Amino acid sequence: MAPFSATIRVQRFNPDTDDKAYYDDFDLTPERDTTVLDALHMIKAEQDGSLTFRRSCRHAICGSCAMNVNGHNILVCKTPLQDVLNKNGRVTIRPLPYLPVIKDLVVDRSSFWEQYLRVKPWLIPPEDIPEKEFRVSPEEVTALNNAETCIMCGACYSACQVIGLTKGYIGPHALLKAFLRVKDPRDAASAERLADLAGSDGVYRCHTIFNCIDACPKDLNPTQAIETLRKLAQKRLAYERSRVQRQRSLQNPIVVD
Amino acid sequence: MTNTETITHDVVIVGAGLAGSWAAMVAAKQGVKDIGVLSKIHPLRSHSGAAQGGIAAALNNVRPVPDSGPRGPLEMVPVGADPVDSWELHMFDTIKGSDWLGDQNAIEIMVKEAPQIIYEYEHMGCVFSRLPDGRIAQRRFGGHSAPRANYSKDYTGHVLLHTIHEQARRHGVKFYDEWYCLDLIIEEDICRGIVALEILTGKLYTMRAKAVFFGTGGYGRAYKITSNAYANTGDGVAIAYNAGVLLMDMEFVQFHPTGLYRHGILMSEACRGEGGYLTNNSGLRFMENYAPDKMELAPRDLVSRSEQTEIDQGRGIGPDGQGIYLDLRHLGREKILARLPQVRELAIDFVGVDPIDNPIPIQPTAHYSMGGIPTDADGQVLADAAGTPIIGFYAAGECACVSVHGANRLGTNSLLEASLFGRRAGQAIAEFINSGAELAPVSGDPDRRNERRIKDIFDNPGTESVEVIAQELKSHMTDNCGIFRDETRLKVAQEKVAELQDRFKGARVMDKSHRFNTDLLAAIETAHLLDFSEVIVAGALERKESRGAHARTDFPKRDDENWLKHTLAKKTDVGPSLSYKPVYVDWERYPPQERKY
Repeated sequence: MAPFSATIRVQRFNPDTDDKAYYDDFDLTPERDTTVLDALHMIKAEQDGSLTFRRSCRHAICGSCAMNVNGHNILVCKTPLQDVLNKNGRVTIRPLPYLPVIKDLVVDRSSFWEQYLRVKPWLIPPEDIPEKEFRVSPEEVTALNNAETCIMCGACYSACQVIGLTKGYIGPHALLKAFLRVKDPRDAASAERLADLAGSDGVYRCHTIFNCIDACPKDLNPTQAIETLRKLAQKRLAYERSRVQRQRSLQNPIVVD
Repeated sequence: MTNTETITHDVVIVGAGLAGSWAAMVAAKQGVKDIGVLSKIHPLRSHSGAAQGGIAAALNNVRPVPDSGPRGPLEMVPVGADPVDSWELHMFDTIKGSDWLGDQNAIEIMVKEAPQIIYEYEHMGCVFSRLPDGRIAQRRFGGHSAPRANYSKDYTGHVLLHTIHEQARRHGVKFYDEWYCLDLIIEEDICRGIVALEILTGKLYTMRAKAVFFGTGGYGRAYKITSNAYANTGDGVAIAYNAGVLLMDMEFVQFHPTGLYRHGILMSEACRGEGGYLTNNSGLRFMENYAPDKMELAPRDLVSRSEQTEIDQGRGIGPDGQGIYLDLRHLGREKILARLPQVRELAIDFVGVDPIDNPIPIQPTAHYSMGGIPTDADGQVLADAAGTPIIGFYAAGECACVSVHGANRLGTNSLLEASLFGRRAGQAIAEFINSGAELAPVSGDPDRRNERRIKDIFDNPGTESVEVIAQELKSHMTDNCGIFRDETRLKVAQEKVAELQDRFKGARVMDKSHRFNTDLLAAIETAHLLDFSEVIVAGALERKESRGAHARTDFPKRDDENWLKHTLAKKTDVGPSLSYKPVYVDWERYPPQERKY
């Protein structure tokens, strides 16, 4: 594991003391398997303890450490430093775009969480609850398209140009969560959900630019989820009827061929 | 710091992982209106979400194909077939896994209520993996004699955490995201509130409450190689200890057998539950020499010791010989993609190995804290061995010690424990509040005391980096208070912790600002690591036997005559004062036996 040298350029800003953001360069001697997050930790421990960023799990499941590296939103914990250095051994790290900066690389995700709550991310179950589990088929789980594994890191939200222009837009993260609920056979509120999602802040705001797909560190597909929601919104009463029909058999074993 | 303010709630909950979110949700559902939940990171960042393989409950959805042997393929339990699993089996497995240190009355409650809490998660929208007939899918796990790990691919903790957080939101719980609990206010065995730091502004608040709940997580960050998040610095455990609360069984630290080589990142036990092998540098499945019956699905303490023995005897893999291989190739591409997608991604991202094509280099990694704040089965914190309650103080999850895991936890029992005892604590808190509990007065100046503490850290003229002290602690805890222990090494660890505590008094904080000061937080967290590490080492030094995760090479046998008892540690001016209390054993049904796998 031969050491090499790297220069980490970081955007700095403390609104209490700084008029505007500026850059600091830090030189490091990382190892081959040093991640971008490790590099930030090395700077904080050895050079400047005031460098501020969020992190926790360091394996791409908690969603804390989404940042903008060389212009792309990524999770810094799972990104090898080597992969983002240019030929001069330099990398530039900025906070997530379109969001107010709290300090250095820490952004204010308030609008992100407001939109998350707006779509009522919780399941609204049918009235009749079984003694054991609802019966959901493996195919119905597959149709959720892994939306349940979204870690709410905000990489998609702050890569979305519509968010950059229109703060009212629900956003890819919350629409993906809404997709999860609308597609879940156990949810009893799909018609109301689709009515809200078809409103002026919802699915029709998406310009299908695909930035969210590019940014997602978990390889999820918010754009496709939004397209599905659009289609379902156009026939929401028919969809609601099919849900009601499905919920009548939710307590029965799925018939296996 | 700036002037402090007082906030009042009926209930203050610290920590928003599974335990805290359950407690909050249940208390809110039962009519408690005024609940505030603090978390030093956003609730959805909590470490419960990092759990991968499953949550235990004897649902009887899956069984081994009859007559296929103990490691044979699994099938759906046919309609009308006799159940193969039971709470009694789950109970025995948990007791045996705990090396008889778990309290059997608490274990009985947990295993009996387990199926119901899984169904409750399911009714709240949790996305589980499914069997063809629509039931929840189950897999095998180490130390369990039946396939009872209910799972969602290898994202189980993540989906449970999101589900319960959503429901807590649905019931109108108020969250204080990125608020840090600094201190617990207890006077005369009555809890009166906490002191908290709003991380965004650096402002201190006294938060008075009729009831305080701690679900603050474990203490694995005291070790160098760990699966734990940066956040898992055992804050709640240290804060309680510093407030005069006892700590129980702190010497029992679980090392997970499959942490990613050099990183420690969790490779789920589900890898072995699905049939993965562990091999040494000559390709041998060495578990046949240690646990011929259970093989790779022996409990974690035994598998980690077996790996460490292979490594210590020169049969490890990797450039430094400190690794072992986890081989999944024979499971096939389809099964790996369907059941273990996260594990595969992590192996590719962090060590550049695709488990479909190559074995994954792994090593034991500090994973779970069996010890913690002693409670009864309703989350009520206990002030002494006699069971005197600390009125208004509750705890559950990894920071607590009920004790259901005893000397070694079985995989999938932690998500169960955090959920179930969080829920029970929420019910107990609701009863306490609804029966007319009142705010207890706060005397003295807890906020001033904490202002001074922070000012002292800022004004410290020292030059040594906090991070250097933390790193040295982690190295020494790993080397001298790790998988294998003995008196000589434990004494080195004891002296080192004392030295580091002393050096910490001269440690510097570089960031002196009020706003979002993570440098200050790291200093306080390091102080907490030093506080409870002293207790881990003291308990380990005193316990002259080997039981579960506590393996003394100088006392290699379990000693029920002298050591079938819980360690209790109380803070004094000269370090932890140790005492003991009996384990609850049902001598008729589950008397101690030899533990073989």
